[in-house]
Amino acid sequence: MKMKKLRADVLALLFLLPFLIVYCLFTIWPMVKGVQMTFYKWTLIKKMGYIGWDNYRNVIHDKEVWQALWHSAIFVVLSTPTMIVLGILLALIANRKSVLQKFYRSIFFIPSILSVAVASYLGLFVFQPYTGLVNSALHLVHILPENTEIFWLTETGLAWITVTLVTLWWTVGFNFILYLSAMQEIPDEVYEASKLDGANDNQIFWRITIPYLAPITKMITMLQIIASFKVFMQIYIITGGGPLDKTRPIIQLIYQTGFKKNNLGYAATMSYVLFIVLLVLSALQYWINNRKRGDL
Amino acid sequence: MKWLYRIVSVAMAFLFAIPLIWMLVVSIKQEGMKIITVLDWFKPPFSFAVYHEILTGTKLTNWMGNSILVAVIVMVLTVIIAAMAGFALSKIPFRYKTFMFFLVLAGLLIPGEATIIPLYQVAKDMHLLNSYRGIIIPALASPIAVIVLKSFFDGIPNDLLESIQMDGGGIWKIFTRIVLPLTRPALASMAILTFIGSWNNFLWPFLSITNDNLFTLPMGIPTLMSQYSEDYVKPMVVNAIASVPIIVLFVIFEKQIVKGISMSGIKG
Repeated sequence: MKMKKLRADVLALLFLLPFLIVYCLFTIWPMVKGVQMTFYKWTLIKKMGYIGWDNYRNVIHDKEVWQALWHSAIFVVLSTPTMIVLGILLALIANRKSVLQKFYRSIFFIPSILSVAVASYLGLFVFQPYTGLVNSALHLVHILPENTEIFWLTETGLAWITVTLVTLWWTVGFNFILYLSAMQEIPDEVYEASKLDGANDNQIFWRITIPYLAPITKMITMLQIIASFKVFMQIYIITGGGPLDKTRPIIQLIYQTGFKKNNLGYAATMSYVLFIVLLVLSALQYWINNRKRGDL
Repeated sequence: MKWLYRIVSVAMAFLFAIPLIWMLVVSIKQEGMKIITVLDWFKPPFSFAVYHEILTGTKLTNWMGNSILVAVIVMVLTVIIAAMAGFALSKIPFRYKTFMFFLVLAGLLIPGEATIIPLYQVAKDMHLLNSYRGIIIPALASPIAVIVLKSFFDGIPNDLLESIQMDGGGIWKIFTRIVLPLTRPALASMAILTFIGSWNNFLWPFLSITNDNLFTLPMGIPTLMSQYSEDYVKPMVVNAIASVPIIVLFVIFEKQIVKGISMSGIKG
């Protein structure tokens, strides 16, 4: 639109002002404030002494921090590929014309809108030994002998699988929707042409559908990696970070350090380590997405 | 091939539905009943007595009201604020526009989780802890909403806006009478996604609120659960009460929700 320079500047500022105020006060300012906090011994009550680089030195040598980062990374590795494969599978199911089409679309997405607490507790109950749904079902079909139980929540490997399965159930709906809308954009002619050329279902899936989904897969992969890296609530409810802190992710460690051990300065330092990891991942995402396209 | 497809489809739907069905079945059982195998599900008696007990004897409905109140306010204000900012970035030519755009874009790289500790200190200094203002206001600056809405405003031809301007329409009029109505579907989708985001927000309310009258649903539920150990009836009633309204909302707004997700690629 055409308008006078100065007037445009003032108007733009007025329109941006509400956003800028909140953004600066609660995103930018904490970012800066956090840097200050990393140089202090800082408790919930007040700022204590200046300690220079001690927090940073300690973080680098803190085995708990690396272990918690590692746990978050394990969760990324477990959840990202399964989220993608399951997302595609569910989209394939709901994309096919059938009387149940609308039902499929709803049922695959509904868990995603449950409150995180509800989803986590349902998961916790489903995988309980003795009274949980999974073990009961396994007993019922005699895969699991009577009077034996699988301890889904208290053995490290199984606890990871449990948390991943619950998270899949709870959040795969978002990926499912993204894949479904991408699939619906593939032109029918492409399928018809390949059918005329004698391609079978298998070939059509691998040679047409999957390549068409490549851009959305790239996007989902990166969003998923970053989202999974920030995991906290499900693990907090389902395993509490146990057994023996073996599933405790970095966010939980930051929370415990700040609020249970009363050391906000050190917790802030940890969160900058997390920030750097996420920044590297985001930069990677930007690089991958823009390797071929020149635009922003 | 076709039958395999059907079996897999039905099996997946069953797996996704079964925890919810289990929740509903157990929630109408009587307390103290053994519900171990699936066969126990179908044994009467069924009763809604525990629903009554939870609805009247706990703060659950109170927390749900809080969650809805917070989510609605966050939703309305976020969309207004983001639409205004997106409009300026899209349609008003001003100095430092590129700088502003990159400033907003930078916000996408700053995860809330990484600033949560200093945010606590900032909120404390501003006396925002233990108040709804403290949960609502920090949630209002959503760079992703600004960017998505900006891209929708970009799709409105400038010629259209200029002709209105020629007729003497002010910029505010252009914004509220032309731009907002034209992008209503985008605004609705963004609103719903913001609502879901706020509804599920856990970490910040968890840190900033300690008064249990002010709890939101995700904070309140764990405190209830820790009191119940007998059987699953009470916990399942809690889960059911907390999820049935949101499922109903979903069924009503399914179209907008699906559209919102596919256009913004927001990961919940």
